[in-house]
Amino acid sequence: MKIALAIAFVVLAMLWYLSFLATRLDRLHHRVETSWANLDGLLQRRAAIALEIARSESCDPASSLLLTSAAYQAREASVQERSSAEMALSGALGLLIVDGHMHAGGAEQSLFEELRLLSAKIQVAISIHTDAVSSTQMVRKKSAIRFFRLAGTAPLPVTYEFESDAL
Amino acid sequence: MLTKKLSIGLVCPYGWDTPGGVQNHVRDLAEFLISAGHKVSVLAPAIDESQLPAYVVNAGKPISIPYNGAVARILFGPKAFAHVRQWIAAGDFDILHLHEPAIPSISLLACWAAEGPMVGTFHAAAKHQKVIYAIGPILEPAIEKLSARIAVSEAARLTLTNHLETDAVVIPNGIYAKRYANGAPQERWSGNTIGFIGRFEEPRKGLQVLLDALPIIARFAPDVRVLVAGPGDPKEVEESIDPQLRHRFEFLGRISEEDKADFIASVALYVAPNTGGESFGIILAEALAGGACVVASDIPAFDSLLGGGEFGALFESENSAELAKVVIDLLRDSDKRSALARKGKGHAQIFDWDVVAEQIFSIYEMALVGAQEITLSSENRGWNRFLSKDGDKK
Repeated sequence: MKIALAIAFVVLAMLWYLSFLATRLDRLHHRVETSWANLDGLLQRRAAIALEIARSESCDPASSLLLTSAAYQAREASVQERSSAEMALSGALGLLIVDGHMHAGGAEQSLFEELRLLSAKIQVAISIHTDAVSSTQMVRKKSAIRFFRLAGTAPLPVTYEFESDAL
Repeated sequence: MLTKKLSIGLVCPYGWDTPGGVQNHVRDLAEFLISAGHKVSVLAPAIDESQLPAYVVNAGKPISIPYNGAVARILFGPKAFAHVRQWIAAGDFDILHLHEPAIPSISLLACWAAEGPMVGTFHAAAKHQKVIYAIGPILEPAIEKLSARIAVSEAARLTLTNHLETDAVVIPNGIYAKRYANGAPQERWSGNTIGFIGRFEEPRKGLQVLLDALPIIARFAPDVRVLVAGPGDPKEVEESIDPQLRHRFEFLGRISEEDKADFIASVALYVAPNTGGESFGIILAEALAGGACVVASDIPAFDSLLGGGEFGALFESENSAELAKVVIDLLRDSDKRSALARKGKGHAQIFDWDVVAEQIFSIYEMALVGAQEITLSSENRGWNRFLSKDGDKK
């Protein structure tokens, strides 16, 4: 009888632990999704601003072309290509700002200001997202989670290789 | 800033009625957010409930515990946990902002109990690393619930990355720079004066280092005076001073915010000889904003706040001979002093609440993307739902 009770207790404790782990993992997956939604939204806005800058008068045809293609690529990139496309857009924007910031008119000036604020937010969003991804990856390495397949069919989140100095 | 008005819950782990950097930070942030039109509730332990402002909810009486080289007045335990849960359930919050969630306190309890968008701010740069190593695995499941983490300084961020393996965004503590910008120099505090503000009885504030440096300073600057402001009993300190130098000391006791601005504007040098346990150094930011020429020990927090010596002079921590050398050098050269003070005043603007609160708010916005509002996590657990249904049937 005592042994049966002890076994029942151990089984209950294990069930509790597994349920705890599952909740924890679910929460982390949720965090990865929301932080990505946030980052994605900011990046989309950046691409839109890039297009607007490309269409503005202060932009010469060559950099306009460069910027437009980079922005479209960033917008239409697949998940795997996303980070390299965004980095290309960062590069293109960086070129333009070093080169063209000086002779920007009033309207463009406010665009550049918006871009600057957005870039600061993107940096923060990247670090929040990377953090969510790495904690999720770490928890999913736990043997209990792998053995009992607590992650279910959720794909393992991938780290996006954004350069830390991304514009 | 976001146009939608939010309901924000702030949790302060330390006793509201004891002075301290975290408490001041939470108070200023709460007041700033309220003036911006948000609904703010602060949960904090307090000894005297009648003294609390309207936006603070008392979580119970704090207990004094030695932590990180000082006495911390914090609170935990089942009764506090019940308070925390009650506050979360009644508050109807959009977001929770927990301060110092990595120590056993109501912040950690709130992190445990709540579900939804949460932001944590880490203030301390812990010295006792082994302790954190030991409790790290226990904290991890709670800390990873935070949607975003803020560290108040690079030192605090390093503590976090080293011990809890998680990254944070650095947003400095805020000050109301304008309050200090217009201090009027007072005759009684001017001249060859060295200012010190803080609880001077605490060894980590480093008054002793300044005391040891004084004999050397007095030899080169005979009219030097040291003005010490801050709560505490000066008797013991006074007795330890050489009788010949005792008259050079003036203990002002605790001074008001207005007096503080005047004090900073009056003194020739502001000295912060802290020996450690400091993570940000808000008083230095205030001194810079008030246009004082600052001399500080080179502990990591001060070093980064002063830009490695660009915005104020640094000396090797606990080395009173070097402190004396730096002080004498600056007392003799008023051009150098005013140049340093001017640079520092410009730099201090990045700590102004207008700038800092906007940064914190943009973190809130990020945490709020795609999230629901704050609930108690126990309500979301499957077995509890099952149990409560069972209970209803009976």
